[in-house]
Amino acid sequence: MRSGGNMIRGEGLTRIYRMGASEVRALDGVDLNIPRGEFVGVMGASGSGKSTLLHMIGLLDRPTAGVLEIDGVDVTRLSERQRTLFRLNRLGYVFQDYALVPELTAQENVYLPSKVRGMSVRECNLVCQDILERVGLKDRMNFLPGEMSGGEQQRVAIARALVNRPALLLADEPCANLDTKNSVLILDLIRSLNRELGQTVMMVSHEEWHRQYFDRVIFLRDGKIVDEVGAGSAP
Amino acid sequence: MLEEEQVALYLTARLIARGNKGTLFLTIMILAMVFVNLVFLPSIIAGVVVLFNQRTIDYSYGNLIVEPRPGELRIENPSQLVQKINGIPGVVASTPRYSTGATVVFRGRSTSPLVIGIDPAREQEVMRIFASVQSGDYLSPSDTGEALVGETLAGSDDPEGDSTPTLGGVVVGKTIEITFPNGFTQAFRVKGILKAGTSSVDNAVFLHRRDMARVLGEADPANTILVRTETTGKDAEMRLTLMQYGVQEKIWTWQDKSAEFLASIVGSFGIINVISTLVSLIIAVVVIFIVIFISIVYRRRQIGILRAIGIDRSLIIKSYILQALFICTCGTLAGGMLLIAVLQYLAVNPLIFPGGPVQPALETGLIAQSVLSLYIVSVLAGYLPSWLTTREEILDAIRG
Ligand SMILES: Nc1ncnc2c1ncn2[C@@H]1O[C@H](COP(=O)(O)OP(=O)(O)O)[C@@H](O)[C@H]1O
Ligand SMILES: [Mg+2]
Repeated sequence: MRSGGNMIRGEGLTRIYRMGASEVRALDGVDLNIPRGEFVGVMGASGSGKSTLLHMIGLLDRPTAGVLEIDGVDVTRLSERQRTLFRLNRLGYVFQDYALVPELTAQENVYLPSKVRGMSVRECNLVCQDILERVGLKDRMNFLPGEMSGGEQQRVAIARALVNRPALLLADEPCANLDTKNSVLILDLIRSLNRELGQTVMMVSHEEWHRQYFDRVIFLRDGKIVDEVGAGSAP
Repeated sequence: MLEEEQVALYLTARLIARGNKGTLFLTIMILAMVFVNLVFLPSIIAGVVVLFNQRTIDYSYGNLIVEPRPGELRIENPSQLVQKINGIPGVVASTPRYSTGATVVFRGRSTSPLVIGIDPAREQEVMRIFASVQSGDYLSPSDTGEALVGETLAGSDDPEGDSTPTLGGVVVGKTIEITFPNGFTQAFRVKGILKAGTSSVDNAVFLHRRDMARVLGEADPANTILVRTETTGKDAEMRLTLMQYGVQEKIWTWQDKSAEFLASIVGSFGIINVISTLVSLIIAVVVIFIVIFISIVYRRRQIGILRAIGIDRSLIIKSYILQALFICTCGTLAGGMLLIAVLQYLAVNPLIFPGGPVQPALETGLIAQSVLSLYIVSVLAGYLPSWLTTREEILDAIRG
């Protein structure tokens, strides 16, 4: 991983949804610079544009206007196929629900993206076991999603997101479906991944108590950054 | 790129192994039926054609038909020619016939069927008319004044019910009167009633050729010689062989004589066959399509998220094509077993057609064609729904 430089650089990021005559500015000129290795929280009321911002950065959607560079790549110029490869190789994504393939065991769910990436079977197995151990599921590797708790499934989803050693981990309210105890587990896990592996993380949350985990918090309202608190950038 | 196929296979194997077995089993069984249907009906039709051909040979024409030289009405020295033909390698036997239209009267009812003079002993080695005697007996070589009457021509006691002109229910032992084209009239005792399921027997009268000779005032009259050869199917070659051995008469094969009729049967069966094949294949497409479509719609979000984490939609599509191929393979295998079971059942309890029992005639080409068309259809039915549903934006799929 390159040291120095920003992981994410956005300028004037705008996403407008047109609905007939009216238009919704889900993102309205967002500028942001996220350094490598930071654990960034995105907070704000429901409908403030948090998911929309994450979708832009996760290459699931294209901005209506603005500049977006991730890991030094101007992602607005990538073709559809290149975006798919970029997501596979450089991004990890965790969603509110875990959306594991129910017919695959924990290990196989993690195996899938690493296999697609073209690792050898040996390499895959090693990496999968390693990462599942990292998320504390060493003894759950051969369990099917249906046989695991929500917290365990979300940890499998995190392992799946991390198996290809992404430059950036994106998480959209990963604890929304979990109780406090499991939320703490997940947050502690992401935090330790950030601290121990230097993993850059951007996480959406609207739980006030999650703030303590973040190095920096970006507050959104009506698609605009209204406040930014944390490392380096004085409010 | 082979990488992706491998992962698709990996995914598919697990989806099938850990997926819903009931649906899978049902789908496979439907495919099995479709396969049986694809193969079975054409085989039955082929079986009917085989049967029909055999009956055409056995009761109407033999393998080859020798007719008078151009411009002549009689075969010259037929007995001598029969001897000669019988000596040609590949020939089993041949028999002379004299056929003429005549008026037949019984109890005041009169019809004009074909009256055929035969040599009963020789005839037995070429044709199987002797085997179609329904009541009474076949002609013996020494008989005179005896006749065999086809069942349709003999008719029933209630002639109004007969669809063609008949003799109104003549039976064995009764006497019929035959008036020949030369005006000569003679009474014949009905010795047997024939039923062969072919109008050339069931609508005709058979006499001893000796009686015919007397009526005509000729020693050895014949206007056809029917030839039985050792193998059926090489008829055109045998025709040439006969010509090479110096037979100067006109020679036809049984196919020449029945071609038009056969073509019309095969043609109308062909239409039924095409319709049945199309319906079967459409059922196969629709069933696989629906099964896969439901699976994909049900997994819409899940597939959206797989795509979001960088799994290309082509992998998803390939995985579904592989599933369809798996269903198709199992369906074909199960269908093959079902077919064997049906064939074994039919060997014991054959289907009885008007012409006799029919055995389905399986052709490798047909089986290959059915398997191939099922595979093509399956690939399509796996490809289409997965292509259609993975075309949407990832975010739309994830939002549900
Ligand atoms: N596909 C869409 N079409 C129209 N409006 C949308 C769409 N997606 C999001 N929005 C609007 O954009 C705004 C921001 O949405 P979102 O980013 O999902 O908010 P959050 O994640 O902060 O709750 C909302 O007003 C929402 O209604
Ligand atoms: Mg949201």
